[in-house]
Amino acid sequence: VSERRLRLAAAVVATAGAAVAAYLLAVRSGGAELVCRTGGCETVQSSSYSELLGIPVAALGLAAFVTIGVLSLVESPLAWAAAMSLALAGVAFGAYLLVVQVAVIGALCDWCLVSDGLLTVLTALVLLRAVAAPAATTASRGTSRSRA
Amino acid sequence: VVRLGSKRLLAASAAVAALVAAGLIAASVVGARSDEAGTETAPAGARNALAGEPELLRGIPQRGTALGSPKAPVTLVEYADLQCPYCAQWARDAFPELVRDYVRTGRVRMVFRGLAFLGPDSDTALRAALAAGEQRRMWDVVHLLFANQGPENGGWVTEDLLTRVGAAVPGLDATRMLEGRSSPAVERELGSASTAARRDGIAGTPSFLAGPTGGTLEPVVVTSLDAAPFRAHLDALLAR
Repeated sequence: VSERRLRLAAAVVATAGAAVAAYLLAVRSGGAELVCRTGGCETVQSSSYSELLGIPVAALGLAAFVTIGVLSLVESPLAWAAAMSLALAGVAFGAYLLVVQVAVIGALCDWCLVSDGLLTVLTALVLLRAVAAPAATTASRGTSRSRA
Repeated sequence: VVRLGSKRLLAASAAVAALVAAGLIAASVVGARSDEAGTETAPAGARNALAGEPELLRGIPQRGTALGSPKAPVTLVEYADLQCPYCAQWARDAFPELVRDYVRTGRVRMVFRGLAFLGPDSDTALRAALAAGEQRRMWDVVHLLFANQGPENGGWVTEDLLTRVGAAVPGLDATRMLEGRSSPAVERELGSASTAARRDGIAGTPSFLAGPTGGTLEPVVVTSLDAAPFRAHLDALLAR
């Protein structure tokens, strides 16, 4: 798979993740009712863990997916590194929230699980880009050295 | 040269990710703990001075004016004025039992439609409760206000009372509640409850409607303000 295709795939997955986060955020803001198969979404969404410093976690998720999606479209090692950092941090935080749902809140939110899954796939795609990247995808610190 | 996917870049990304994740997790843990501590340490004096059970609704989902699982098969709507003594009687004698046996078990969802027709204290109290709804704690504030109700239009809904009530509710930011009393969402809810009361022909409080969630709600004939008549009505609806 070419690096370009992986970048596009990452952007698509990031868009799906952003849609899930936007849905959770819209429902939290008092829109439609949350469609929830596990029945635990409301409990999780109304717990004190659904906010971070007063900001809904869904809003942080939305920002993360959008940022990773945009960074994935940029052909630059630094943009890749930023996307990778954000994706790995998101996966770690998602894992922590999963433990909180099971061990502290005692309820599972299926939309959060979907979001976690999408973020994991997105992280894998960003990581795979490094494998598929052509050697030419470099950011030169010194033109003379890279030409040498 | 920094190559995409180089070990150096990957290590840097992992290090940044670890720092960001650690920061997020620390903030989450501290935030959750301060929510707990907010109810267990700081307002201890306030809690002692208040009647009611601040923990009554802990863990029950709330959104806006709704209490309980949105998937509950039956919905019970309450029209009430926070100054109305009969509403307070129902809140003391029936509400805790109904919450324990019907709402907490996911069988009944309750919706509060607050009216403020008895006087200025009604409006002040209702606005605070609706503002708490922004933080999914409206029912906690309603419960504590009913439990600490004063004489009608006696000026009992003071800033001090609202602050103490706000501080006693688990997970509620009392300052944010007080600041949100004139928010567009509160104004909207005030208007929508009045409109619904006119539509439902509400002549006094407390008044109740019940029916299948999402379906047609019918008035509940209130024969007494304890839980018994509500149990009978809700059981009949649940048996359908």
